[in-house]
Amino acid sequence: MAIQNLRKRFGDLLVLDSVSFEMQASSITAILGPSGCGKTTLLNILSGILAADAGAMAGLEDKRFSYCFQEPRLLAWLSAEDNMRYAMASLQDTNTIEQRISRFLEEAGLTEFRHFRPHQLSGGMQKRLSLARAFAFPSDILLLDEAFSAVDLKQKIELMQAFLKLWKDERPTAVIVTHDIHDALFLADQVVVLSQRPARVRGILQINTPHEARLFGSNELAAYEQQLYSLLGFSTLDQDANMPAN
Amino acid sequence: MENCLIVLSMQSSARPSWTPLAWRLLGIACFLVAWQAASSIVKSELILPGPPIVLKALANLSTTAKFWSAVSGSLARVLESFIISIAIGLLSGFISGISQPAKAFLSPFITGVRATPVLALILLAMFWFPSSQVPVFSAVLMAFPVMHTSAEAGIRSVDQNLLQMSRLFHVPKRVMLWRLRVPSALPYILSGAKNALGLCWKVVVAGEVLSQPRMALGSAMQESRLMLETADVFAWALVTILLCGLSEYLFGLLSARANLVYLSVAPQVSRQSSI
Repeated sequence: MAIQNLRKRFGDLLVLDSVSFEMQASSITAILGPSGCGKTTLLNILSGILAADAGAMAGLEDKRFSYCFQEPRLLAWLSAEDNMRYAMASLQDTNTIEQRISRFLEEAGLTEFRHFRPHQLSGGMQKRLSLARAFAFPSDILLLDEAFSAVDLKQKIELMQAFLKLWKDERPTAVIVTHDIHDALFLADQVVVLSQRPARVRGILQINTPHEARLFGSNELAAYEQQLYSLLGFSTLDQDANMPAN
Repeated sequence: MENCLIVLSMQSSARPSWTPLAWRLLGIACFLVAWQAASSIVKSELILPGPPIVLKALANLSTTAKFWSAVSGSLARVLESFIISIAIGLLSGFISGISQPAKAFLSPFITGVRATPVLALILLAMFWFPSSQVPVFSAVLMAFPVMHTSAEAGIRSVDQNLLQMSRLFHVPKRVMLWRLRVPSALPYILSGAKNALGLCWKVVVAGEVLSQPRMALGSAMQESRLMLETADVFAWALVTILLCGLSEYLFGLLSARANLVYLSVAPQVSRQSSI
């Protein structure tokens, strides 16, 4: 799948400026960039919600998309399993729907909470349910918009663990939009680093280490982390040191 | 110092807790005292009978067959107008809530009906309908815009994030209506229905006063007025108030139950004025 020279403008505001990158099927791509740089706009263009002003996308035609958002976006009056059923209401095969609901609820560790309503679940469980819903919806490409943000460290690690477990089941192509280096570092096979708005691709980092070998604090991950900071243009908190030499 | 704090906390815990019910009873008692005081000053049962005289008149009326036929006749009219108002208001409110052109199309009509004085409606209805149906027609025209506005606001109040999520997952419109839009609108609909119910009582009885159907609280009230039985007029009015209050209370219980059953977390709803 290839994205070539995408441009998007809202009135006078240029949001995306010649964004290009490629994605392998069944891989995880992280789109990393500062808040407000146009990551969500890029995601919306990929899924066809928004049209680009210029550029081309190859290999995304006739693909089915699934989504996970920053907020769980659950219907408060429906149980966990009914929330999943609701998202799959466009599907015809009832047996497949029920099987997928049971399977992904189990993999998200929510089987015993399937009849619980969202307010009876913790914040982390609600996010896991939202992830399970996204994976249960049959799709070729899974789009995640800041799905691991706004949670504490423990919840974040649990959520990322849940994501990996769910992803390994069917290995859909996944695109994770994030402003957090660690989301990209622990989950992605490739990281597309975007600049401040208007977003341009500052660099693309391939992470070849298998997920099970990405040990917290390991030298290998630290080296990738340093490369990501470097692509983002940061080397230290000292602003003078970050400034490019004139 | 520590002793002082203990004494203060004991004093505050010993203070009687005035529940809302106690304040309500106190309010009613004050109103009755003021009514009795005013009646004593006027010194004329024809102009302003006191509470004991009115209560006695009410007790006398309640033993007659006429009383119960009037209550049942008015109750039937209120229920009829309430059900029709809810049906029309829900239908038009839902359509307006979902479709912007439909909202623009219906809004002049709804605004016109809302602005029409209730008495003008009743007088016109008397040309068109039999006397028993005049109060129903008038009440429907007054109450359905209240239901319409609540249903429309409820449908429009749906969380935009949930709407976007539903569209991205290609949830069919029919499922979206029953699973997302209606539950989101439910607290607004119940609040609107409660207001419409109160309005139905007021307009039905006002319509009965003018159109004089058989078996009606309004007709009985008007008859007592012509007979100069002021205490009876007060008694009939008191019955209307009690029935209206009781039906709103019962509907409130039903609404709370519906909210509990259908929605686990009811969104906050701003109450609308009844007229």
